[in-house]
Order: sequence, then C-alpha cells, then structure tokens
Amino acid sequence: MNYQAIRAAYEAPIATACAALSPAVPVFFDNLAASTLTSTSEYVMVNITFGLTTEVALKADFDYVRGAIICRIHTPKGKGSVRNQTIVAAITGAFQTLNATPRAAGAGVYARVNQIDGPTFDAPVDLPHYIGRFSCGFIASVYP
Amino acid sequence: MAKDLKFLVKDLKAETIRAAQTACVEIMNGLVKAGPGYSGEFSSAWYALPRGDSPGGPRSRSGLYKYDLRNVPAARFETSGMWYTIVNGAPHADVAMDLTPYVYEEFSGDAIKKQTRGFRLKNATRGDLSGTSGPNTRTAPEDWWPTYNVGGALSKDLARGFRTGFGKATGFS
Repeated sequence: MNYQAIRAAYEAPIATACAALSPAVPVFFDNLAASTLTSTSEYVMVNITFGLTTEVALKADFDYVRGAIICRIHTPKGKGSVRNQTIVAAITGAFQTLNATPRAAGAGVYARVNQIDGPTFDAPVDLPHYIGRFSCGFIASVYP
Repeated sequence: MAKDLKFLVKDLKAETIRAAQTACVEIMNGLVKAGPGYSGEFSSAWYALPRGDSPGGPRSRSGLYKYDLRNVPAARFETSGMWYTIVNGAPHADVAMDLTPYVYEEFSGDAIKKQTRGFRLKNATRGDLSGTSGPNTRTAPEDWWPTYNVGGALSKDLARGFRTGFGKATGFS
C-alpha cells in the first residue's frame, strides 16, 4: 500500500490550483507546521484521511483505498465572501479535472473524488478569519 | 411451515422498517466508536430523525453510550417517501465534529476514551493538534466525521444493519 503516492495524487492538483490563483494562496497539508495560522492572511488547510484501506475488490491486482479530503479556506474576515469562494472554486475545479482524467497505463495511482459536501461558511466571533469548508470522499486504485 | 403469499407485502414492510432501525443502530454505534469521548455526553446524543426534525439532547453522561432498537422507534419509519438523517443533539456537536474551530469547555475527570496530547493553535479545530506532547488533548482524530461518512465505514455499518434487519424475511412459498 502506498499511502504517500495516494496523498500526492490529491495534494498536487490542490497545490497547483492554489498556486495559479492571483495572488497565490499558501496551502498547508497534514502535519506541516503553518506559521501563518494565527495571522489574518489567507491560507488553505487540507486534511486527507484514510478510511477503509484493505477492502477486497473484484480483482486482486491493485489496492483499493477510500478516504476523505477536507479543505478549510481561511480568508480575512469582514471583506466579503468572493475571495473565499474563488479559492473553493479553484480547488473543486481541480477535482473535476482529476475526475475527467483517464487512467494512465501501467503502474500508478488512479485517483477519483466523489461528490463534494459543501462549501459551508463560518465567521467565528473571536477569530480573524472567514472560513469556508468542504469535504469529499475519494477512491484511489493503486496499480503496482 | 411456509407462509401464504398474501402476507408478503405486509411482512416486507415490517422487515424494511426493522432493517432501517437496525441500520440506524449500527451506524450510531459506529459513530460512537469513531467519535470523541470525554464524559460520554456527545456519544449519547445521536438521533435518527426525519429530515428537518430537531434532535433531543444528550441521554447520558456516564460512559460511552450503547444504542439499541429502543433508541430508534419503528413508528418513526412508517411514513413512506421520507428522508431520514442521523444527527447529534449535543450542545458542542459542531466542535466535536470539527465543523467549527475549537471552543474551550471545562471538563474535569478522566476521559472515557484514550487521549492524545499536543498543541492546538488558536483558530484550529478540536482534532487539529501539533506535536506529541502539550497542554491540549483529543480523543478522536481530526475529521473523524467525514472520514466515517465517506471513507467506507458508514456504508459498511449500513450494509451490516440492513443484512441483520432483513434476516427474518424468510419462509414464503
């Protein structure tokens, strides 16, 4: 089982989509210390979790892994929702592109996301950010 | 002895309701297992309801709650064409499910689930801890809720519940 390759299959499109925005927005993935967490600047937190990872599939020549991707988009509070929603749209657009990409021949990770739940938005009273949040399930097949 | 076919529709309806009840019980017990546990309050506040109905509050504060069919009355499933949801009615449910940033809540005593320690930065959610030691704790991993929902555990519990609930729909000729 190659969890790192599965992570990379999802993290790379997210990082690329956020880097392509103007201005680019920093993305922090699991277990990477984010020095900007308490600042008022914008950033994206992405959490990739694994659910069932040893599920038996009809064929035995690949690993079949399920999990969840949770994205939290932090933008400055009191400045409207446009920027937050622009970032959400960039990431969900990257997921749609991922879903439309055919499986490459040979070894590798064939990554797909399921339906997206959200986004929901929250502006906590004592925090400096307006937070957009969405999540989706993923299914990855790893071909040796 | 084989049953007359004229009872099939009535029995199937009863079995469908039973299967829905059993599936809800399996799912709610799965959520208890997957979710956090300090006093047990959050674990006891899951409700299976028609969509839009408000849940009640926590049922207990003494350990992890164990759901059974009495928590999911059959009468709740007798209306056809209805969507059902499983929701948590604890006052701090959004925080416990990592849907909103963590808000400090006084808790004394021992947590009923194993705690892991770390640092929780301001703005972070309940489960978002850095490091392996620190003043903050959690008893379930970050984002356990979407992981349970879409990571495969929900569909597994749902399937097991339905299989168990439908187990008695036999005997027709």
